[in-house]
Amino acid sequence: MNAAAEEASDDALLVLYANGDSRAAAELTARLGPRVYGVAMRVMGIRAEAEDVTQEAMLRLWKMAPEWRPGEAQVSTWLYRVAMNLCIDRKRRARGGHVDLDAVPEPPDPGRSAVEHLQDGARQDALQAALMQLPERQRQAVVLRHLEELSNPEIAGIMDISTEAVESLTARGKRALAAALAGRREELGYSDG
Amino acid sequence: MAETDKSLQELDGLFAAARSEPRALPDHLSAAILADAAHVQPGGQPAAPARAARQPLWRQLAEALGGWPALGGLAAASAAGLWIGLAPPAFMPDPAALAGYEDSSTAFADGSYDMALMLSEDLQ
Repeated sequence: MNAAAEEASDDALLVLYANGDSRAAAELTARLGPRVYGVAMRVMGIRAEAEDVTQEAMLRLWKMAPEWRPGEAQVSTWLYRVAMNLCIDRKRRARGGHVDLDAVPEPPDPGRSAVEHLQDGARQDALQAALMQLPERQRQAVVLRHLEELSNPEIAGIMDISTEAVESLTARGKRALAAALAGRREELGYSDG
Repeated sequence: MAETDKSLQELDGLFAAARSEPRALPDHLSAAILADAAHVQPGGQPAAPARAARQPLWRQLAEALGGWPALGGLAAASAAGLWIGLAPPAFMPDPAALAGYEDSSTAFADGSYDMALMLSEDLQ
């Protein structure tokens, strides 16, 4: 990928793709794919489901490219919105199914000791397990706010709700997460001091 | 209250750790996404031009005969031939004769005999 394409905006890359530039697809995939996959992974909790959501969301992006009007919206916002809706659809279809916590990847961090590595892995597993206990919309809002670090207005656009509703969802979600994790403090290696 | 604050702080630490995780697409997923992109890319489908280049049989036949100018000449010659066949000009030979049929006036080689001569021969 050349330097010019790497510096181009998502908007410009999408237009390039629609005009037949295959390198633009590679750059957009490298930029946006991991973000969508990360969110889908946190929201779905199952690797295979997250992969399906990511591929489908990106496919819809490719198909939408010829109609994209640059400057009207952010490509990433549009993509997050599609991905979140796909997650909701899949959750509805699979309601009653199990949550595969083992599918959550552990963070590779060779600079830490084995014990610390295991403890970090256990904490992230605990975070994911607590996230999966939240209602769907709360989980989405918390993931977009605290893991993707998106602004409340952007999340409001993605979830098609008001900014106040986003604030309410994230606040309630965060309290519920803290309560869920409080019972596992000792298990997760948090001291009482 | 202090317990809640501590839990929220720990939660913030967990969020920060989660954000610091390196994020990358699995190779097979990246390949699948790029394959989709190539498949639906406008103007990027190699099979489409081949399908679009296929022409109906009548057009292929017209092109084999030399295109529209040749077809026009062929149609004019056919119409002229039909017209001449139906209503031949006076200076043209009789088409029936050309086709091998003879006029009834020439069908009898002994047309020069008359009835009196025939009768006289019978009497002799």
